Amino acid sequence: MTSIIKLQALSGAMDESPPCYVLQVDEVRILLDCGWDEHFDMEIIKELRRHVHTIDAVLLSYPDVSHLGALPFAIGKLGLNCPIYATIPVYKMGQMFMYDLYQSHHNMEDFDLFSLDDVDATFEKIIQLKYNQSVPLKGKGYGLTITPLPAGHMIGGTIWKIMKVGEEDIIYANDFNHKKERHLNGCELEKLQRPSLFIIDAFNATYQQARRRARDEKLMTNILQTLRNNGNVLVAVDTAGRVLELAHMLDQLWRNKESGLLAYSLALLNNVSYNVVEFAKSQIEWMSDKLMRSFEGARNNPFQFKHLQLCHSLLELQKVPSPKVVLASSADMESGFSRELFLQWCSNPSNSIIITSRTSPGTLARDLIDNGGNRQIDLIVKRRVKLEGSELEEYQKNQRDRRDENANKDEESDSDDDIEMSVISKGRHDIVIKQEGKQSGGFFKVTKKQYPIYPFQEEKIKCDEYGEIIRPEDYKLAEVVPEAEDNKENVVIKKEEEDIPEVTEAPSKCIVLSRTVQVNCQVQYIDFEGRSDGESLMKILSQLRPRRVVIVRGSPESTATIQNHCQENIDARVFAPNRGEVVDATTETHIYQVRLTDALVSQLNFQKAKDAEVAWVNAEIVVRKGQLDAKRMNVDNEPMDVDEEDSKILTLEPYPTTIPHETVFVNELKLSEFKQVLAKSNITSEFSGGVLWCCNGTLAIRRVESGRVILEGCISEDYYRVKELLYEQYAVL
Amino acid sequence: MTTKRRQATVNRDYTPSNTDDLMIIKPLGAGQEVGRSCHILSYKKKTIMLDCGIHPGLTGFAALPFFDACDPAEIDLLLISHFHLDHIASLPYFMEKTNFKGRVFMTHPTKAIFKSLLSDFVKLSKISTEDMLFDEHDLDNCMERIETMNFHQQIEVNGIKFIPFNAGHVLGAALLEIEIAGVRILYTGDYSREDDRHLMAAEIPPCRPDVLIIESTYGTEVHEPSEEREHRFTSTVDEIVSRGGRCLIPVLALGRAQELLLIIDEYWEVNPRLQSIPIYYASSLANQCMSVYQTYIHMMNRRIQEQFSVSEENPFYFKHIKSLKSLQHFNDSGPAVFFASPGMLQSGTSRKLFDRWCSNPKNGCVICGYCVEGTLAKKLIQVGNVTEITTFEEGMKKPLKMSITEISFSAHADYVQTSTFIEALLPPHIVLVHGEASMMAKLRAALEKTYGDREDVSTTIYTPRNTEAVELYFRGEKKVKVLGTLAQFEPSNDTNVSGILVKKKFNYLLLDSEDLAEYAGLPVTTITQRQVVEYHFPFSVLKIYLAAMFTDLKFNIVSDDARESIQVFDAVTIIKESESMLALEWPANTVNDMIADAVVASIIQIELNPSTAKMIGSSCSHTHRAVPSKTQAPLLHSTCVVESDDARRDKERLRRSLLLLLESQYECVSVGKKEGTAADVIHVDTGTAKAVVFLETLDVECDDQNLARLIKNLCTNVVTSVNLL
Repeated sequence: MTSIIKLQALSGAMDESPPCYVLQVDEVRILLDCGWDEHFDMEIIKELRRHVHTIDAVLLSYPDVSHLGALPFAIGKLGLNCPIYATIPVYKMGQMFMYDLYQSHHNMEDFDLFSLDDVDATFEKIIQLKYNQSVPLKGKGYGLTITPLPAGHMIGGTIWKIMKVGEEDIIYANDFNHKKERHLNGCELEKLQRPSLFIIDAFNATYQQARRRARDEKLMTNILQTLRNNGNVLVAVDTAGRVLELAHMLDQLWRNKESGLLAYSLALLNNVSYNVVEFAKSQIEWMSDKLMRSFEGARNNPFQFKHLQLCHSLLELQKVPSPKVVLASSADMESGFSRELFLQWCSNPSNSIIITSRTSPGTLARDLIDNGGNRQIDLIVKRRVKLEGSELEEYQKNQRDRRDENANKDEESDSDDDIEMSVISKGRHDIVIKQEGKQSGGFFKVTKKQYPIYPFQEEKIKCDEYGEIIRPEDYKLAEVVPEAEDNKENVVIKKEEEDIPEVTEAPSKCIVLSRTVQVNCQVQYIDFEGRSDGESLMKILSQLRPRRVVIVRGSPESTATIQNHCQENIDARVFAPNRGEVVDATTETHIYQVRLTDALVSQLNFQKAKDAEVAWVNAEIVVRKGQLDAKRMNVDNEPMDVDEEDSKILTLEPYPTTIPHETVFVNELKLSEFKQVLAKSNITSEFSGGVLWCCNGTLAIRRVESGRVILEGCISEDYYRVKELLYEQYAVL
Repeated sequence: MTTKRRQATVNRDYTPSNTDDLMIIKPLGAGQEVGRSCHILSYKKKTIMLDCGIHPGLTGFAALPFFDACDPAEIDLLLISHFHLDHIASLPYFMEKTNFKGRVFMTHPTKAIFKSLLSDFVKLSKISTEDMLFDEHDLDNCMERIETMNFHQQIEVNGIKFIPFNAGHVLGAALLEIEIAGVRILYTGDYSREDDRHLMAAEIPPCRPDVLIIESTYGTEVHEPSEEREHRFTSTVDEIVSRGGRCLIPVLALGRAQELLLIIDEYWEVNPRLQSIPIYYASSLANQCMSVYQTYIHMMNRRIQEQFSVSEENPFYFKHIKSLKSLQHFNDSGPAVFFASPGMLQSGTSRKLFDRWCSNPKNGCVICGYCVEGTLAKKLIQVGNVTEITTFEEGMKKPLKMSITEISFSAHADYVQTSTFIEALLPPHIVLVHGEASMMAKLRAALEKTYGDREDVSTTIYTPRNTEAVELYFRGEKKVKVLGTLAQFEPSNDTNVSGILVKKKFNYLLLDSEDLAEYAGLPVTTITQRQVVEYHFPFSVLKIYLAAMFTDLKFNIVSDDARESIQVFDAVTIIKESESMLALEWPANTVNDMIADAVVASIIQIELNPSTAKMIGSSCSHTHRAVPSKTQAPLLHSTCVVESDDARRDKERLRRSLLLLLESQYECVSVGKKEGTAADVIHVDTGTAKAVVFLETLDVECDDQNLARLIKNLCTNVVTSVNLL
């Protein structure tokens, strides 16, 4: 009956490393998040490598690198092969995060930890879900159901609920935000009552947040001051998560005519900015009620920006007139455009740099938060530079040699390519015209597939009563030829456009130099992380009252804070594993299912108690031979519930002899409410020192602690009347 | 296969003990007709309304579903399947003009389109009818109240669970799977199982429903394969514009139109020779709603999603289609393709253009949607050789020379789709709705033929008319989860289980009272009662008195308390508070309350009957005998000439108790005199027999021996229990 539940933290325990946990429920191992830090720490990978082959499913909570960053490596290089579950926005935006990360690193060094193909392969494995969509796992995980619930923080952000049929509900919640934001709803954790296991991060346990308004104003004044002093503002944000909140907020600010910002420019700079905004536009149903309502009512897409200009390179950014505010990735300033802009702008005191989230220790952004500006910083600068002079010549020579070699080798296959191409473009013609003078290779990326055999496309012949259907267009030779040429031209032109960025990339090398920069500009940290703060965490924990808590990710002090809170206030078993440690959180709940017979139900005397009805049952269990119950089969003819696999069915039948039992009073009394009840029956009562005195002080009702009530008084008729009324407040069983 | 009538009798034969098991499905509209979809589903005191449309062929109040056949206040939940007027348009009326208080759910795209669609409807009805069903203000109020749901998302309202699945048909159309107390109902709304340009085919829900409420628009008709009809469509349009004609395509503003636009846009893209010919789309409504299509890409099929992520271009940014605000902006010169609403040429833009273009044989009209009886479009395709039409505005007769082609792009399921859908689900009950009576009858006959001979399935088909209820009985299977301490041991045959059964939203839990707070979230309270009674006699007297009554007494159990105390049955503690005060303290429950009452009665008796107390107090060794002797003595000394106060009180108490007891047992009880005598009696009338109880002697007079014996027993019981006190 009882499931074995274990959790091992591969990373993200007792420190601020990214989350990555293995949850084991009986035979099934589920990987909860698979994050990587900004420096691509190989420790995580080492741990992951040991588990990779036992993992049956991966659940992702957020699209950012620290929640799914190691996944392309795990799939591309470690051979992780299992379904991955994520919400649609996590899927879409996660892809953007990884593309941007790859591109940013590729722009400055030879990056080989994973390739874009690995990223694509990873995201192909993702099963896209919606909030509150319950997915029963198959195979080993039979009986387990996973459900994503809204978490706030980032679009599509997920709190995972993992249910074992009827007995266990495990909640995995990290980095959630219970507060409503501009573009997102808050999480609704409080709806989940008493989960049997609650996995929560302690990252913010000791952190206090300024009020949202104060933060917004701080950002606003900083931006205005800097811009008025003719300085530029660099806002370091992530690629596709929190940036949406900031972009939406700033665009709205710009729209406000009185803000005085219209004269300045606003830009979003990352490698995928266009796509991020396009995807955001198509994910309105995942956003806050307010945005949804405005879209439903007036069809204003909130991400149809009016002022925010989308840039993909520094070159494009240069065209945006200064002074300007630039939202650039990445938030850690270890890579990407934010780092490059930092190098360019930091020495000018009129500029300003705003950091919006606390990234891992050791990153440039964190260093700036902790140590502030106005000092010299030694930085390692990595760059990809174009080859020049002798190097370029050498490279070109190499290339030429290689190409000649290839050309000799592939001469025949090359011609195949061309034939195939013309076959495709000509479509239905069986006479192949070989195109001349087109030698592929060199700067152009070869995207065509190469077939080992001569391509042959079989066409299905459609017939009607009169035989094969004749298509007039097959015989319109005169028209087809120019049309084909048209197409060809179009294709070629398009190709050139597409290839431009790749051409600039080709002959280059990566250099590393260390530089000391003087930070003169303003540096400010304004919290736009969108996470619940410490106080709220405690409040949520008290409301939820989980039976067991596993605390992960957070400094030892924060972990201890939550641990104390849980032990003192909610009487839960608490685990705080170290990295690599396995905690055994198995519960001792007992459970089985029986069927109620009508004979029993008709005997019962139900009474109302809160939102439920209760009745005392005195019954016996009878084992009956199960009839073939076709009703509850699903389409695949699999039984719906586990217990129907065995043919014996337990039923509850009335028990002939009554057995005395202790009376149970179900409900909780609120003295203030009881006062009103008394008033209705014309019994006067008043409060004094937490005691409800009735009937001129001859009777007293007190609540000693929750769940204990004392009725005290002289014997009198009133005593019995009050007693009756008091009993009426309960379901008495 | 049983017919409906036979099934009804079967149902009547089976008289369920519990009307709780009765499910009622009642169409208020779209029962043996097309239009004004609206169905009531009620089971286990939960009522759901499915869709809330109007009849497109009628106007004003006549177009509404039969709302008077239901009580709006009782409806817990209203679910909307998709945004077509015949499924949604009476919603503002229902929400604002009736006392409906439930919650309303629809999918995101449906809600986004709802507003514009209905404001358009309001504008049109302003012109044409006097009795407006609702206005803009009502609409705004509605928008506030409507909640949204996403596909595959399970939502629970009040114990009713429902999941929307993709239904094809139009953007945001949903199949609704509803579960009440373990019984599943699937409502298809309008659905299509065909994967088209932008919509995915209706999904087959993973669980088998018990009841399937399914549309039957096309009955047993079979659609032509999609490639063929697409080809026919593009080549027809191509032909018309190539011969220099104008091509009119009347469409419903939203829904199929977007599909046709995608097809035409794509066709123009691959045929550059056509690119000089303009395509217009004149519908401000559709124009407003394009952003909805551009936004909810994720609810469409794979093809569109791939296009969106690979090409990074939204397929709903058309390249060759120009939208026109109104006809005034239209420069009618030379060949053109014109999409115009409404789809059945009833009035409006499409009719205007039709009237303008109909006499030129070069021009052509392609009718693509489903046409309702009585519309011009239906007439054109039904009759075939119409040679003359009457123009809508001027009422002139005009010769009809333009070519008319019908290509059905209707996204309703045809017979093939319907039967495969049913085959996959094999529901025991099928309710046909949303279809003309003849179509429905054909479909029913066909289905009955298919499933009638099959051994493995028994399916019953219902075709209710409007307001005609289908009654189904489901013996809702009740499963209970035994949790916590109670479940500590593996269940085996004949083990006794007693505990508290908690019923919460059709879920049953069986718990020990200890676990109630833990698993059911229900707090348990212990009540302690403390009663103070006056008492002036020595404590020892009470001890003796109680010892006579109760077997289990403990003395001075509170060790650190100097005060004297007695505990009766480990429950009621009597503490001597002062010389004249006793305090009784006990944890409240039914048994303890009784013991406490008995103790209190004893105390009062000592107080009221000082002589006994004194006697007992003086000679405590004899008390044991003294009390029993009192109980043995007949309480009613009718022979006593002078009754003591005591005796009279006892008698009075006895009478009261007896009367109370009898009143609680029998219906008609009255006190009176025996006819002709002065004896006090109680008359008891059970309806079948009469009895007279003499209060003095406690004799019973009755014809019915059984009753006499029963009452006699009661009397003796009362006497013994009263004497005990």
